[in-house]
Amino acid sequence: MSDPSSINGGVVVAMVGKDCVAIACDLRLGSQSLGVANNFEKIFHYGHVFLGLSGLATDVTTLSEVFRYKTNLYKLKEERHIEPETFTQLVSSTLYEKRFGPYFTGPVVAGINSKTGKPYIAGFDLIGCIDEAKDFVVSGTASDQLFGMCESLYEPGLEPEDLFETISQALLNAVDRDAISGWGAAVYIITKDKVVKRYLKTRQD
Amino acid sequence: MAGLSFDNYQRNQYLTCSTNTKAQATSTGTTIVGVKYDGGVVIAADTRSTQGPIVANKNCAKLHKMAPKIWCAGAGTAADTEEVTKLIGSNLELHSLYTSREPRVVAALQMLKQHLFKYQGHVGAYLIVAGVDPTGAHLFSIHAHGSTDVGYYQSLGSGSLAAMAVLESKWKQGLTREEAIELAADAIEAGIWNDLGSGSNVDVCVMEIGKDAQYLRNYRTPNVREPKQQSYKFARGTTGILSERVLDICQVEEQTVDIELEA
Amino acid sequence: MQAIAERYSNQSALVKELQYDNEEGLSNDFVNGRSQFSHLAPHIALPPISTPQEFLRAHTDDSQNPDCKIKIAHGTTTLAFRFQGGIVVAVDSRATAGSWIASQTVKKVIEINPFLLGTLAGGAADCQYWETWLGAQCRLHELKEKERISVAAASKILSNLTYQYKGAGLSMGTMICGYTKKEGPTIYYVDSDGSRLKGDLFCVGSGQTFAYGVLDSNYRWDLTVEEALYLGKRSILAAAHRDAYSGGSVNLYHVTESGWVFHGNFDVDTLFWEIKAKEGSFNNVVG
Repeated sequence: MSDPSSINGGVVVAMVGKDCVAIACDLRLGSQSLGVANNFEKIFHYGHVFLGLSGLATDVTTLSEVFRYKTNLYKLKEERHIEPETFTQLVSSTLYEKRFGPYFTGPVVAGINSKTGKPYIAGFDLIGCIDEAKDFVVSGTASDQLFGMCESLYEPGLEPEDLFETISQALLNAVDRDAISGWGAAVYIITKDKVVKRYLKTRQD
Repeated sequence: MAGLSFDNYQRNQYLTCSTNTKAQATSTGTTIVGVKYDGGVVIAADTRSTQGPIVANKNCAKLHKMAPKIWCAGAGTAADTEEVTKLIGSNLELHSLYTSREPRVVAALQMLKQHLFKYQGHVGAYLIVAGVDPTGAHLFSIHAHGSTDVGYYQSLGSGSLAAMAVLESKWKQGLTREEAIELAADAIEAGIWNDLGSGSNVDVCVMEIGKDAQYLRNYRTPNVREPKQQSYKFARGTTGILSERVLDICQVEEQTVDIELEA
Repeated sequence: MQAIAERYSNQSALVKELQYDNEEGLSNDFVNGRSQFSHLAPHIALPPISTPQEFLRAHTDDSQNPDCKIKIAHGTTTLAFRFQGGIVVAVDSRATAGSWIASQTVKKVIEINPFLLGTLAGGAADCQYWETWLGAQCRLHELKEKERISVAAASKILSNLTYQYKGAGLSMGTMICGYTKKEGPTIYYVDSDGSRLKGDLFCVGSGQTFAYGVLDSNYRWDLTVEEALYLGKRSILAAAHRDAYSGGSVNLYHVTESGWVFHGNFDVDTLFWEIKAKEGSFNNVVG
């Protein structure tokens, strides 16, 4: 288990609903088999854009700060918050810059375009290849399990409350089959004028 | 006698050393083709992207615009095909602005191969470049190490063998535009059905001399998913919640500032 | 006449099959673990390579080789301790292959006979196979000797076996727990290196350190049965919480002079929140 992307463990998932998006992560930070922390959040937000970062914890922290820096400069130059679509390109180029010495993360972007009101999600590989999806994106050590859960549970056009149940159940049941994910979960339900964050009750083993 | 059998031990060792396991881990499956016809050229691609055995995206776009009439189909490492076509596409536009001429396909070809050669194959982009310029319609293929090919028809990616089988048996001199599109799409479909690394839909781009390029996204969709017959929607309140909080994002702070006007 | 009698006697059939002159020779070798006795052990062919252990590690251990093809089910927490009221045995129930949780409902205690329990840690297949085999050996002993096998003898059969296969790549850490008249409540630790240790308290598996932490700090010889059972359960819970490769549920056993008693299966999900609320412990977790 010397693979850098599965030393610390963790997952992120995002889904699109009717005029809303959801993004969720687990809270575990481990060192191989040892659980170290149960409050390691993997979702960050820059204005109304949300970014989930799974993978190597040191890179998760580093990248979250890099993007804070970059989005702050963007705000100063443009005098407005960055939009999800623009931010996606920023993530892509930041990762590809390190093509031959990459950050070991699988980022996920989620948000609602403040101009058009269109829900938007995107996923990336560790060197910045954009995966624009209209339904869901997954990343992390339980991504195989999440693909299975999302592929079966997801349906288009869910209302925020129903989207919460769907994404939560997808996450919960996926991490229950991964030894190095779980230990708590956080879910963000994002609508145009309201963001609700919920902590879920999960298994603690 | 109870116990274990090692009957297959030596056979399996032979099997594991004869297959190249390293190529399995790095290659990203794709089928892409290009076909020339009288008066133009057409390229096509499937829409599956993979991470190992997992289908990462069922409808991704592998046809990249480098110039309005020069398009490029990419196989190999997805991020590399995207970035290299974007980079060379930008340089191509600067070049065309500087020279006040329409960009040429050979220029794109030269810039791509020089870039890829410089990186000695580490930039894993396998490309089919096609387009029309003042010198006519052109079709080339480029490998990650920088070698290039010219031809009336080309195929690349893990499904290239299936696609080439179709091209070799059906391509002829003097194809019409419609025939060329169908041939390219058929070749991609051969990859979709017969290559596990390729799948989903067919994207097509037609570049005809004297006309704008025509990008036909999802030209064929032979893999439409059957809608679910029942819903897996959960009753609200299914998931146990520890706490809930409404986030303050986009905090708008308003403040009235009195500006003292002085004479 | 003698010949006819021998043909229909069960004991002598075994003596004959194993080519012994008399029954005494068999039982001597049986207890001492002589080589002739290995006729009773199924013979496992070894792969035609110089160091099977190294080979197995290279192909099955993903800490050495992340893209190894064979992933063996590993990871466990098991414990057993002696106290005033007998023995408490507690185990988790998770089986993992890499980080994939293969099962949350594994039985890691093998009920060898009504007085003997074996715990299971390490390679799931190795433990399951050889402890089932051990069960058969114990039954055979019982038939021969008309007396239940001692814990010492049972554990020795297993340790002789693991020693025989030393270096072949077996992976098992097990506790043989039982009660006999002459020994009283007894625990033997046997592992795939060939070790065989008698002791009062053992924790075995990837979560052993976490279990030892709780167990050592709360253990007393004069624990009541209720207290001891709770301590066993609580120690496994601690390991299930911290160790990624332990979890699922807790299985509890109590061994007394009248044999072992099963004290239930407790899902870690409900057990955790229940104990957290009751004890006010696990304050690292927000409830």
